[in-house]
Amino acid sequence: MTAIELRGVTKEFAGVTAVRDLDLTVEDGEVYGFLGPNGAGKSTTIDMLLDLVRPTAGTVRVLGADVATDGVAIRRRTGVLPDGFSVYDRLSGRKHVEFAVESKDAADDPDALLARVGLADAADRDAGAYSKGMRQRLALAMALVDDPDLLVLDEPSAGLDPAGAKEMREIVRAEAERGATVFFSSHILEQVDAVCDRVGILRDGELVAEDSVEGLRETVGGEETLEVAAAGADDEAVATVRALDGVSGVTRDGDELVVNCDSDAKTAVIGALEEAGVAVADFHTREASLEDLFLAYTEGDAATRDADSAASTPADDEPADDEPTDDGTDDEPAAEEVDR
Amino acid sequence: MSLAAIARKDFQETVQSRGMIALVVLFSLLVAAFAYAVRPTGQSEQFATEVLLSVFIGPFLVTTLVPLVGVVVGYNAVSGERESGSLKLLLSLPHSRADVVFGKVAGRAAALALAVFAGFLLPALVLIAAPVVFNAGAFLGYTVFAAALGVVFVAIAVGCSAASATQRRALIAGVAIYVLFVLLWGAITGRLVGAAGPVVDALPVSAAQIRVFLRASNPTTAVEALSNAFLGEQLFSGDTANQQLSAAAMLVFWTLAPPLAGLLKFDADDL
Repeated sequence: MTAIELRGVTKEFAGVTAVRDLDLTVEDGEVYGFLGPNGAGKSTTIDMLLDLVRPTAGTVRVLGADVATDGVAIRRRTGVLPDGFSVYDRLSGRKHVEFAVESKDAADDPDALLARVGLADAADRDAGAYSKGMRQRLALAMALVDDPDLLVLDEPSAGLDPAGAKEMREIVRAEAERGATVFFSSHILEQVDAVCDRVGILRDGELVAEDSVEGLRETVGGEETLEVAAAGADDEAVATVRALDGVSGVTRDGDELVVNCDSDAKTAVIGALEEAGVAVADFHTREASLEDLFLAYTEGDAATRDADSAASTPADDEPADDEPTDDGTDDEPAAEEVDR
Repeated sequence: MSLAAIARKDFQETVQSRGMIALVVLFSLLVAAFAYAVRPTGQSEQFATEVLLSVFIGPFLVTTLVPLVGVVVGYNAVSGERESGSLKLLLSLPHSRADVVFGKVAGRAAALALAVFAGFLLPALVLIAAPVVFNAGAFLGYTVFAAALGVVFVAIAVGCSAASATQRRALIAGVAIYVLFVLLWGAITGRLVGAAGPVVDALPVSAAQIRVFLRASNPTTAVEALSNAFLGEQLFSGDTANQQLSAAAMLVFWTLAPPLAGLLKFDADDL
């Protein structure tokens, strides 16, 4: 059976096409990472899964049923952590979970769920006083009520500290082991690497890639970045290097040459430079990071830029807020997703 | 039960809101002050609970303040959650949009009814202490009518709220409803009937009948008519029994139609 099935889905908001002719299939039991920069249409897609937003064209089926007609029945078997939600300020954390339990006609113990997401101590406090990360945990506790068959998590790590993001991943993994299908979105690839069976990358409302993380890395990742300290390199030397087989791009950054090339072309690059009479003082290589990989798909020209230049020249509306992080966590709380 | 779950949650939230508590206290103090101020100074035993309610507290406080509280309680029911984003949390759970609208009408109406009863508690004490013939039955019964009036305005305001994408629009609609029904109804409908004189003449009804109909159509005057009949011990009987019936029917209409109309719009919207 398929947990999620989108066929030819298009959504237009007054003059803007947020999602364009999207086909997407998530199988039962799969952990699917839905990636894309802010504004790519991720939240709009998720809102269509929940029947909050109705597609302009196409069909959306979740857990085998049409969301347009069976929304309530679908949501009875689905746990959702929405994006850009807010809590009921005057109700305590426990009241929130009790409300979810009651709404789903479930028998869960609210305190056990709150303990599972690390909110046991705050259960009696009004949720209005919760921090962003605590609200995120609270919504997760509500999503976990009644062991749903499908978990839809929209930017689940937003607002969480590194430890919180790790706990979130552990819960996702545990739910997947229980047999639940997990569909979650993120604008940070490192977060999904560890838990996803498959990822899809959305860009401008279209799916531009869909594969396992390893598969994606192989597709783009034969590339390495070679940084060469070569003060004497003139234009002619640069042109020679650029002409070599396996070299896709060369940029000069002060005394340093940044060469994007296949990993087996490295020796040829150094050799060519020395032959041209350039003294190579030092060089080192860098494997394409997940961030480079992500940018390759979402900006389409990662081959000619490295992570540094990408970070220093943020594209106008795109991931200015996702600096590469080595521990795979979101250090930028609450990046606003502007989908509409 | 989805609707009941939403109603309970909304009830809890509403009775805990500071604005609601402040309004109840204000209302209670005003009614009590009124009761104290107009209490008979002499020994006139005729000055009874019924007179105080139908002549003083009714027209000056209940028909003006209770609808206002109803609008305040109802206008942000749906639009407020929509604007803040908690509606996403609500609709992530297995609730239909109809459950949301009618659950909110039920929960907030219950909260308002409780508030009206609480608001009449202090005045009751004043009346018991004051040298007035205190008729507990009349007082309690009148409280029920006051609560019903509030419930109707909650339903209208929640309907407006469901139809509005923003809080501001819901507030404007709520205030407009209040101004129309509470402040301007008599003047506007009087002028309309006057202007439509030639048309009315052609209809098989008299201008007087139309005036009676318009009076029953406005929830404020409808409740006034019913509560006065009740205080005069003529509820659904006597000369005005038919008018009272239509007034009661209109109250039911105003409780159901606005939320339904709001739901139609809300159900079609992208949230």
